[in-house]
Order: sequence, then structure tokens, then C-alpha cells
Amino acid sequence: MAEKPNQGGSSRRDFLKVTAAVGGGAMAASQTTWARGLVEQAEKGELSAAATYELMKPENTLYTTCLNCNTGCGLKVKVMDGVAVKIDGSPYNPFTLHPHLPMSLDLGAAATIDGCLCPKGQAGHTGAYDPYRIRKVLKRAGKRGEGKWVSVPFDQAIDEIVNGGKLFAHVSGEEGRSITGLKDLWVMKDPKVMAAMAGDVALIRKKKMTVADFKTKHAAHLDALIDPDHPDFGPKNNQFVYMWGRKKGGRADFDKRFTDAFGTNNTHGHTTVCQGSLYFASKAMSEQYDGAGFSGGQKFYWQVDQENAEYILFVGANLFDANYGPTNRTSRMTDRMVEGKLKFTVIDPRYTKLASKGARWVPVKPGTDAAFAMGMTRWILENKRYDARYLGNANKAAATADKETTWSNGPCLVKLGKEGEPTTLLRAHEVGIKAKEIRKAADGKESEFEFLVVMKDGKAIAVDPNDDKDPVEGDLFVTTEFKDEKGTVIKAKSSLQIMLEAAQAKSLVEWAKECGTTAKVITEVAKEFTSHGKKAGVDMHRGPAQHTNGFYNISALMNLNLLIGNFDWTGGMIAASTFNVDGTKTDRQPFPLPKITPKSGKPFGVSIIRHDAKYEESTVFANYPAKRNWWPLASDVYEEIIPSMADAYPYATKVLFSYMGTPGYALPAGHTQIAALLDLEKIPLYFASDITVGTTSLYADYIFPDLHYLERWEFQGSHPNMPVKIQPVRQPVIASPNEVVKVFGEDQPISIETVWLALAEKLGMPGFGKDAFGPGKDLNRPDDFYLRMVANLAHDGKESVPDASSEEMQIFQKSRRHLPRNVFDPVRWAAICGDSWKKVAYVLTRGGRFDSQENSYKGDHVANKYAKQINIYQEKTYKVKDAFTGKHFLGMATFVPIADTLGNAPDALAKGHDLHLVTQRDVRMTKSRTITNSYLTALYPENAILVHTSDAKRLGFKKGQQVRVVSATNPEGTWNLGNGRKKDMIGKVEITETIRPGVITFTLGHGHWATGAMDLVVDGEVIKADPHRQGGIHANAAMWVDPHLKNTCMIDKVGGSVSFYDTKVRLVPVR
Amino acid sequence: MSKDVLVTMQEDAKRALGRSAKGRRWAMLIDLRKCVGCHGCTVACMSENKLPPGIVYRPVLEFQRGTYPNPKRVFLPRPCMHCDHPPCVAECPKPGKGGATWKESEGVGAGLVLINYQECIGCGSCVSACPYGARDLDEGLFHTDGTPERQKYESMPSFEYGIAAKRAKDTPPMEKARKCHFCLHRLENGMLPECVTTCVGRATYFGDVNDPESEIYKVIKANKVQFLKPKKGTKPRVYYISDENLEVIYG
Repeated sequence: MAEKPNQGGSSRRDFLKVTAAVGGGAMAASQTTWARGLVEQAEKGELSAAATYELMKPENTLYTTCLNCNTGCGLKVKVMDGVAVKIDGSPYNPFTLHPHLPMSLDLGAAATIDGCLCPKGQAGHTGAYDPYRIRKVLKRAGKRGEGKWVSVPFDQAIDEIVNGGKLFAHVSGEEGRSITGLKDLWVMKDPKVMAAMAGDVALIRKKKMTVADFKTKHAAHLDALIDPDHPDFGPKNNQFVYMWGRKKGGRADFDKRFTDAFGTNNTHGHTTVCQGSLYFASKAMSEQYDGAGFSGGQKFYWQVDQENAEYILFVGANLFDANYGPTNRTSRMTDRMVEGKLKFTVIDPRYTKLASKGARWVPVKPGTDAAFAMGMTRWILENKRYDARYLGNANKAAATADKETTWSNGPCLVKLGKEGEPTTLLRAHEVGIKAKEIRKAADGKESEFEFLVVMKDGKAIAVDPNDDKDPVEGDLFVTTEFKDEKGTVIKAKSSLQIMLEAAQAKSLVEWAKECGTTAKVITEVAKEFTSHGKKAGVDMHRGPAQHTNGFYNISALMNLNLLIGNFDWTGGMIAASTFNVDGTKTDRQPFPLPKITPKSGKPFGVSIIRHDAKYEESTVFANYPAKRNWWPLASDVYEEIIPSMADAYPYATKVLFSYMGTPGYALPAGHTQIAALLDLEKIPLYFASDITVGTTSLYADYIFPDLHYLERWEFQGSHPNMPVKIQPVRQPVIASPNEVVKVFGEDQPISIETVWLALAEKLGMPGFGKDAFGPGKDLNRPDDFYLRMVANLAHDGKESVPDASSEEMQIFQKSRRHLPRNVFDPVRWAAICGDSWKKVAYVLTRGGRFDSQENSYKGDHVANKYAKQINIYQEKTYKVKDAFTGKHFLGMATFVPIADTLGNAPDALAKGHDLHLVTQRDVRMTKSRTITNSYLTALYPENAILVHTSDAKRLGFKKGQQVRVVSATNPEGTWNLGNGRKKDMIGKVEITETIRPGVITFTLGHGHWATGAMDLVVDGEVIKADPHRQGGIHANAAMWVDPHLKNTCMIDKVGGSVSFYDTKVRLVPVR
Repeated sequence: MSKDVLVTMQEDAKRALGRSAKGRRWAMLIDLRKCVGCHGCTVACMSENKLPPGIVYRPVLEFQRGTYPNPKRVFLPRPCMHCDHPPCVAECPKPGKGGATWKESEGVGAGLVLINYQECIGCGSCVSACPYGARDLDEGLFHTDGTPERQKYESMPSFEYGIAAKRAKDTPPMEKARKCHFCLHRLENGMLPECVTTCVGRATYFGDVNDPESEIYKVIKANKVQFLKPKKGTKPRVYYISDENLEVIYG
């Protein structure tokens, strides 16, 4: 290039000198040396003068956290003239560089080092600059879902939602419809009354109080209840339902602040559409024995420490396309794969990208993962390939003696029922081995402690699993009997014996046949899995979880990890670890949020999705089957929220608010969710927070524009595969296009926080506005909340972070020079943070808080340990009765065939439908939200239906042929979008060898009917759709509707997951 | 592991920049065993270079082989090969330094096949001349055309060839030939090409193959490398490692 025009900025030479100077003594030595070298080269004329590369300057670089999928990678956003023009991975964040660079790294040096990102992360800003984003509040001007809107002032919308009335008199047919506003639902406010009622509702559940007595006792407050004849429904406050899709820390705390103050129990997330049964099976395994029963289980799960594992058995995990995620996990695997240090097997009906790099692919039949696991279990137990030393430990002391940090209840004895079936764990006092003990808790409360029992060399020993002083070990395989004080025989078996018998229920050949493989494959995989000591693991995700038998698939697979005792070991199973933000961890944290929040009444009553509640304990208990399921073991059961509202089961609700989620698009049989939303009587008021008119918010009465993730705050947390303790921060890096409104006297672009704040202001709710956090500490704007959390983050850990240097403070401000005052105001921010201001700046200039790679391992163990008991036998699960059959759930995992809620095999539904429909993710799309990203849609304009060559041949399909997807519950093969609108479920066929014959799949993210893919009328003007967003197929509406529920997909009634991969369909050629 | 290979390679690149153009030989190496087909490089490049619809400098091609239950999937990123005998330059009506496209011999870009958008007449000869399909004509489109509003990010300057050029009608590179330039503008600033830094599998290596201390040198030395379309005699600067015979797959 002979001549390069200088675009007016400083010359390269000047720029380099400046950079070197800015870096000063703090700049990494090599960096400085190199920069000097370049200056010299420029002086010698070896480098041509050129326009400055603006994207390497720290003052144009901002660090935040991605949300184009839930991996939440560290972002380095490069901004020019206020526009985010390029996004790369952050070098400070272990998701995007491995090992990541220390937080002490100079900002100038960091600006020149880019980490990795997947294509969605790279394209993120194109979603922020989506021309179809809404900027003002939209109010429905036609029927729900008709796509006709008027823009209304923010204050008007808030006023209408709070006060209710005939809000849609302008819509034909709704002239006389009067809507209940939030003020008429926020009726029970006295914390004492709520506590008293909640206590008595608990007594009603335990049949220790009658409803009549309750009514007499609480006569003065019955009018605040949903139904005085059913006090367990709780107060009318519960008739406000808040549901969300993707929400992380920070926003979760903000929302909870409002919903707690409002007193509603109906706040529900989306977990079960993702991998709910993985969460809730892990929760069941992590329940801890408290002396009476099991409690304190964590909603979480484990994944493999893949940077140290020698062998991984991946089951239905698609981590080169999804699954938290391609960035962090791939970079921890590929070198070791090539060097032969890591070997893995992939169980999946699809030959995924992951499978294509594996040593072995096992294309099982969908929904039979547990059969494979039980085959492996049988081989491992019969061939004594388990870690006997680990499994023998019955308490913490025994585990510690073996340098183990976890232990199982494998040797613990389980009582058998009349049919010989396992029931509850045997208590020592039941058979006269050891009496109950009175124990005093930290709060001074006394309770009875019942000991469990193991057998050791023929002798029964009482055991407290959490005893860290006297080691107790037990025999692994025990079948025995005792006599109680009355002389009745009590038969018992050890958990492991029960597992062995469950595994021996079928031969290896039979297990193999069940899952569509061979006994040889099961044997070889089992052998390989047990050939690496602790450096092996079973890593599972959506594949096994999203079936009607998901809970037991996961439990059976996770039990394999217990057999080799790999938890907390390097190369074994690990869990996520995060720095705290709510101020409850260290004394240095300046804003302990729970302490500085006004006490409101604790929400009570059963939720509309009936989570944490047993059917038998409710006042609506009649007979089996229940109308809908009850969920003592799961929560955030996404598929239940809207259909339960439509069924008014167990009670009628009034107002729905949805945030960043599209159940209509994301859920199997999502059309049933849409049908429910069209019911004005059952869902009288529905408002949504969204950044576009989305595939579900299309059905709302009001849509409030939200901020894109590059414009807002959140705390991303971590994922189970990440050994480093972290807390990535999401913070505004670009201005929002949204209308600026005034709430609590402060200007702010409309966001979900603005909505909560304005509702609180209008209702006069405590805990918001002036002095919300105590005298002089207001909550008027999002940053009032989040900066305090960042201050807490800065002060967590053994040491607080250092102060930002004066140079860093300059960069901190300069890099935010494009942000409007109503987003970034250094004076206001400094005042909010107080003494912590420079520490907050230190954290924000790095995009969060990240421990070091070195601190993440200690010898053979990970540093951030689980360190508790893990259940092989799940007593708490056993104690739950199936709400449809009245039978106990199984306490021991095994293979359970696919079935509807009533327990029937779906033979009638399957009849005449020859193909098994599953779905998958492609790394270029994230379900509903990435179609708005121009770079992604350009690169991946449409998906296809993948069909095996043999099936295509049998059906006479050619590549690219258009076919319609039909099933027994959607014989028409369309999306019924309401108002007479239908969308054909038609896609093109792609013929491949990369899938198990008989199974078909499509990637999620295409086939939209909104989000810019539908013409809209706003204020009388037509906004034409972008045809690029209409490409491809979304076939969720073909997925089976449960025959008993009738308005919901099929479900895993134990773990909550939706059935994504159980439907049989036909493909009908379209001529 | 002491350092991410991205950091190591950046140090390698800086070392190479300290040496004279003559002793340096830039090359790229793509280890297909480590490429997981994420397309991150493709989009990183689109974003860095503000590529319009229809143009990708570095597609990731997928090849499926074999039959069930033993299929194979091979992901093949295909940047410009920066050939030592570039057929595109040979076909250009204005070849050579000072012309529209040439094989650079001086400065940081020595060894790369470069384009001067100011000189390119957009005739398309080079596009059809490239056996790899690495070149395209910029048709002047925008991704957000046809939507309610064209968005600013598409018009903001890219830094290709060190020129901060806004994307606008009748302004280069519109209607000019476009292709991968190994992110010369980043290289000049001691940074790796975008496709290299964003690679989640760390499958793409970049550096001076004349530097025995460099990562790329070591990996090439330790493995059997292949080139795309070796029979074309183009002498590519992009090396590949694969368990597959790429000549069979790609030619």
C-alpha cells in the first residue's frame, strides 16, 4: 500500500508513543519493550503511517458479560463514537482465555489482548442495534396477538396496570371488560398477619387444624384471601404472577425485592424448559440428612473438570454447540484431545460436533439413557470396578480419613415394604440400636435426632452422616432383617444392594436392547469409565433430562459418578463457585441487602404451579388423578405457569407479567401456551417486558421496552464446569434507544427495573425510592441497586480488591464518555459507592471478579469443593406420591419407560407416526433471541429437518424437499397463532448419515412468527417484517400434548422437565 | 499450562515484528482435529471488517463422510491462502504494488496478498481466478436494509489495511474485490488476526514460520501438514493438520 490516507487522527507514531506513556511503569514489561520497538520501527520508516487502530485503546474498551446464550462469556466491547463496533473475549475472564490473565494486568496491556468468543458473542451488538426493537410502551389496540398497537406514555401504562378498569374499551368485544389492577391484589400487607396465617396454613397441611378453625381464628382477614374455604391458596397478592425466561443475579434480586414486598408467591422461572430434571435430580441427590428427614438440597448440578479428566462419558450434551459452552469448555479440551490425554464417548442419537471428535459414538434410542446407565451399573457392580473404599464411607469422618470430601449413603440401610419394595431409610431407634438424641441447633432450638443404620461385618451400627469425629464405614451389599420392639420383622437392604438389584432387573443384553445398542458397547464403555480412577466422569445435559423419565435418567447417570467417587477430585465432578454480591458473606461488604431492606410479609400459600407442595396436604385433595401435577421436588416449572392460570388450578389469578422469555416459542407444544394466553377471562391482564414484539409478548396487553444486555446490569454467576471462582458483571456499555422517563424524580431509559420502580412508586410500596436502604440511601434508579452490589462484590473473598489507580479512574471515566448522564454519572456513582468507589471502578474496569487459575486447585482436589453427602438412595423422593396415581415415586434410580402423566405408554399417540422427533442447538443460534442478530441470520438463514439417508430413501425424500411435520396431537402440522392466523410447520429436508435412523432433528432458533418476522401496526402505521427472520422451521408445536392435561406438553412429573424428545411424527411431503 | 496459546502466539508475533520483513514468513496453520465448527472465526471476521451480506472472508466448510454408525464430520475453515503464486494477482488487470492487488514484499504485510481498494476497478477477474473461492465482489449491500432503519454499526469505519474507512455509497471497498488480509491492521499493532484470537478450539495458529521459537513452527514441525489444492501450484501460506486426506475432501 503505497499511500494510506491519514484519517485525521494522530499518526501511528504519535499513537504508539501515547500508548507506551499511558501504560507507564504498570505496563507489562514485554508489552512496553514491544511498543518501543514499534516506535523505533516507525521512526526508521519500516512501518507506514496509518490511521490509528481505535479498537486497541483502553479508553475505547469496556468489559461486560455476554447474554446471547446463558454461558455468559466475558466480553470486551470496543466502542467508537458511542457505537459498539466490535466484541471480543475478555482476557480477564476464565471463560474466554485459559488460563485467564490476572486482574492486576494493566488496562492498556489488556486492551491489546483479545480472548475467544463464539459467533453469537461476536455478533451480540447486532442484536442491540436491531431495528425492530421497541422504544416506547406499546398497548394493545386489537385482539391479543393481532399485532395492532398504540404507543402510550409510560406513566399511563403504569397507572392503568396499578388501578385497573375498563382498559381495553377501544377493542371490539372488550368494551365492558373491567380489569383488576395490582392495587386490588396488594391487599395483605401486615407481616404479622401473614406469618400467623402462614403458620396455620402449615397446620392445615399437616391436618392439625381444620379450615373451619382457621376461618374462626382469622375472621378479620379472610377478605384478603383468594378463597377463605381454601386458606392454603394464600392471599389475593398471589393472584399477581411474575414469570421469566433468562434472568441472572442482580435482576433476580431486584425483582424479588418487589415481589416479596408485594407478597406474591407466584414468581416462576423457566428451568424446566432447559434441563430442569438435571437440576432437580441433582437437588434430590444433594438433600442432606437433618436428623429427621432430608432438607437443604441445592438446585444445581455437577459437570466434569474437563481440563484434568482422562475420560468423559458425555450423555446428551452438545457442548461444541451449546451447554455452557463452546468457549470455555472447548478451549479446555482440544489440546488434550489431540495429545491423547483426554478420551471421550458421546451417547446421543445425533452425531453432534462433539461426537465427531469423540473416541466412540453411541447412538442410543432417545429416552433410554437410564437403560444404558443401568447396564453399566450392573457391569461395574458385578465386576467390582467401583471404588469400594469410597462407597463404604457412611459419614464425614470416614470420608475425611480416606482423603475424600464427599460420601454417599450407599451403605445405609433402607426398609422394605410389604412387596419387598424399598421405602424409607431405617432409623436406629426403630430397631433398638440407638435411641433418638435431643440436639440443640445454633439458634437454641431443640430437636430430636434419629440415627441411620449401616451393617459392618454382620453388626448393625448407628450412624450420623455428618459426624466428623467418629468414622463409620458400612458393608456395601447387605440384605438383612431386624425385629422392632413389638417383635415385628423389619426387612432392610443397603442402598447399594437396592441399586444392584435394580441393575440386575435386566441382563446386559436386555438393557442394551432397550437403548438400542449392544452389551459389548455397554461393557466396553463401563470398562473404560472405570479405568481412570477419579479422573473420569459422566457429564450430561438436556439429552437425558428432557424426557418424561428425565429425573431417573439423570439420577441413574449421576449414580455412575458415585460408583467411582469422583466428586471434588481434579478430573472428576465439580460444581460452580461464585463471589457474593448481596453483602451477606463478609463483614467488609458495605451493603448487606437483606439487613437494609424493610421487612415485608413473607409470601405464603401454594403457588399457581404447586411447587414445594404435596397434593395430599392441600385442601383441594380429592382423588387420584389430580387435575394437574404437584411438585414437591421441583420448582420453576415453566410449562405449568400459563396453562395452570388457564385452568385456574388450584385458583384463579388476575395479572401476569413476563420477562425475557417466550414460552409460546420455547416450550414443546408451545401453541397450547398461546391458546391459554388468548383467554381474557382466565388471564385478564398480561403485561410483558421485552426488547421486541416477541413470539409470546405479541399476546400481551402492554409491552414495556427492556434494555439489551449491552445496556444493563446483572451478575452472571458461573457454571458447573468452571473450576475458577468468579462473578462476571454485566454493566451498561452503550446507551439505550429506549424512551427516557421519570421515576422517583429521576430520568432513566425504560427497563424492567424502571417498571418495578414505577409500580412501587405508584403503589406506595416500602423499600423503594427515598431512603430505601436506610437514611440517605435511595433506590430511585437501577444503578442505586447494582452499584451497591458491585461494592459488595469488591469486598467479598479473603481480601477486598485494590483501589483503581488514578490512571485507571481516568480510563474508567473516559471509556464511558459516550454514556448519557441518566446511565453513567461519575459524581452520582461515587456518592452511591462511598468509600468503595475506587474498588467498584477496579471491578468494573475488568468486567467482574475472577479468582486465579492457581487458586482453583489444591493438590488432587478442586479448591472450590462440594464437600457433603450425596444420596444414592433418595428417601425424600420416595416419600412423594405421584399426584396422578397415588403411588410412591422410586427412591432408587432406574430405567422408567416414556409415559404420559397417567402412566400410560404413548402407543396410541405414536401409532402411524414413524419418526422420532428430537431437537438440537446450533452454535449460531440461541432459541428465540438470536434471529435479531444480523450477522448470525446472514450466516445461518434457515435450518432444516435432518433425516437419515435410509429414512429419506424409504420415504422417497430428496435433499431440500419441503415437508410438513405432523403428530397425533397436531395432525394439521401448523402453529395455531390465534385470531385465525396459522403458520405452517414446513421445513426442508437435509439427508445425513449423522443421526440414528428413525430419529429426526432440527436446530432451535428459526421459524419465527414475531420478533421482526411479522408485520405490525403501531400507531396506525404498518411496520413491515424482515423476510430474513422468517426462514426455517420451528417444529415444537408437533410435540405431544399430554392426553390428561390437554393444554400442556408431556412432562416429567418427578423432575419437572418438559418432554422435548419423546414425540413420534410423520413428515408429509409438500407439493 | 502456563499460558493460553493465544498469549504465546501474540508474543511470537510481536517478536516477529521486531525482525526485518525479509527474514520473516507469516503463515497460518489450522489444526482441523481441534476445529469444532463453531463459526466464531467467520463472524469475528465479519464484525472486524464490517463485511456486508454475501461476503465472508473465512467460511467454515463442513464435509460429512462415511456411513452410519461410523460417519465423520470435518470442519474446514477456509481463509485466503495468501499464495506465494497467487492466481488472483495473475488475472488482475492492474497487478503489482501500486496496482490493485499484489504479493507484498515489504513491511509488516510482507508475504501477504493485498488489495488496494482505491485501485481495484471491481472487474471480478480475480474472483473467478481464485481456486479457493476466497475473493468476492462487494455488492454494496447492508444487513439492515429492508428493515425500519439501517444501523450505524454497519457504516462505522473498519480498519482494513490501516485505513479507517466508513462504509458509504460509491466509496471503497464497495464494488471492489474483497478477501482476507490476515488482519494486517491488527498485525501492525501487535495483535493476532481475529480468526486466531476468537478460536474456541485454539485450532488456528499464526506466526512467523521462520522462527523456531514460535508456536506455529513447533506445531508444524511436530505434525504432518497439508495444503488445499496442492496440485494447483499456488503455494499457499495456510497449512492444515487433519487426520483426513484433504485432497480427497477438498481437492
